[in-house]
Amino acid sequence: MKKIINKNFSLLTFLFIPFLFFGNPKFLTLMGVEPYWAILWLFPWSYINGPFNGFLTGLALGIVLDSLNSDFYTHIPGLVACGILFGRLSSYKFDSINIFKYGLFCALGSLICNFLYWGQIFFNNYSDMNILLVSHGIKTIFAQVFITGILAPIVCTWLFNIFKKK
Amino acid sequence: MIDTRRISSTRWWNKRNLWFLILFFLTIFSVRISKNYIYQDLYYFISKPFWPGQFQREIVLDSKYKELNMKITQLNKDNKRLREILTLQSSSDESKINASVISRQTGSWWKQVLLNKGKKDGVEIGDAVIGPGGLIGIIENASFLTSSVKLLTSTESKVGVWNQRSNIHGLLVGQGTNSPQLIFYSKDLDVQVGDFIFSSPASTLLPPNIPIGIIESLDKDSQSTLIAVVQLVARPEAIDWVQVLKIQF
Repeated sequence: MKKIINKNFSLLTFLFIPFLFFGNPKFLTLMGVEPYWAILWLFPWSYINGPFNGFLTGLALGIVLDSLNSDFYTHIPGLVACGILFGRLSSYKFDSINIFKYGLFCALGSLICNFLYWGQIFFNNYSDMNILLVSHGIKTIFAQVFITGILAPIVCTWLFNIFKKK
Repeated sequence: MIDTRRISSTRWWNKRNLWFLILFFLTIFSVRISKNYIYQDLYYFISKPFWPGQFQREIVLDSKYKELNMKITQLNKDNKRLREILTLQSSSDESKINASVISRQTGSWWKQVLLNKGKKDGVEIGDAVIGPGGLIGIIENASFLTSSVKLLTSTESKVGVWNQRSNIHGLLVGQGTNSPQLIFYSKDLDVQVGDFIFSSPASTLLPPNIPIGIIESLDKDSQSTLIAVVQLVARPEAIDWVQVLKIQF
């Protein structure tokens, strides 16, 4: 049992992501918006395991996140796209991507996911679209991109160390 | 020679009793003209040291509260009976479940809070959730131990409400921000900034007359509808304890 846990520890960390969404520590929020925890986990995982694994874990993450609330909208397209994108970065040398670039890639991934999510809200409420809905969308996207980018160097470095060890 | 001193003392205006009488009647006349205000105001100062004290005031207030409570109980009974006749939703104090918020997502896309009471405690999907101040949302999911609440601020939330002052019904639609939008499906209605918004008494989803918010601003530029922005009374981002209202049919 211990062997199995040790072998799959990196994948088991996946199970803690929903708890981060529930816990939502207030000191790690910007204007009430929490970081995109899923991207912070997906980036190191996909980078190490390649685009196919990135696609699969992106899909799994999307399904888990969608189950956490019963909104009409889905996280799957954004996370799948990011999983593939981050996986394709694995063809580059690891040293060429320093910890400051983690922030940039995670912010980009967060932007893609948020934009796709907001796009769904936008099209669903197209007839009732107003300035409140638009301003809320813009605020949420920029706050989440910023806070994800800020936290990425710390969280991703830690996750890279765990995933590479295992 | 006539004695002038004697004459002056015999003239009528020099008689003191007469002046006194005139003064007396003038006073009476002024009392009559002032409709007794002078006496009343005088009595105010005279009686001030003997006014009923704090103790008597409490007795009066206590009896007043008792009277109002009796009236409320009677009105509630009437209201319940009438709502039963009309088969509308209602709730009672016995059907409230106290719960605490164990997770809160109010800032980003998701607008939901997680409560520490679930199906085990009798929480069901569709129950209304109120916080200090008023309605915050509706139970969306209920597991065995927890339940999640879809907040009124969610873009998915649509709730029937009414303006109590002018008895106009409308639809409260979440916008993602802390201020949902209230849509009245008609123009030229008697709606003002500052009007209180309650859950609709005609609703089949929510208990009636739960406070929801106050109209913050009005947008009268739209073509066929009147749109208002509502400031919610209960702020979900700052609430730790809520009550789940069990709907009674």
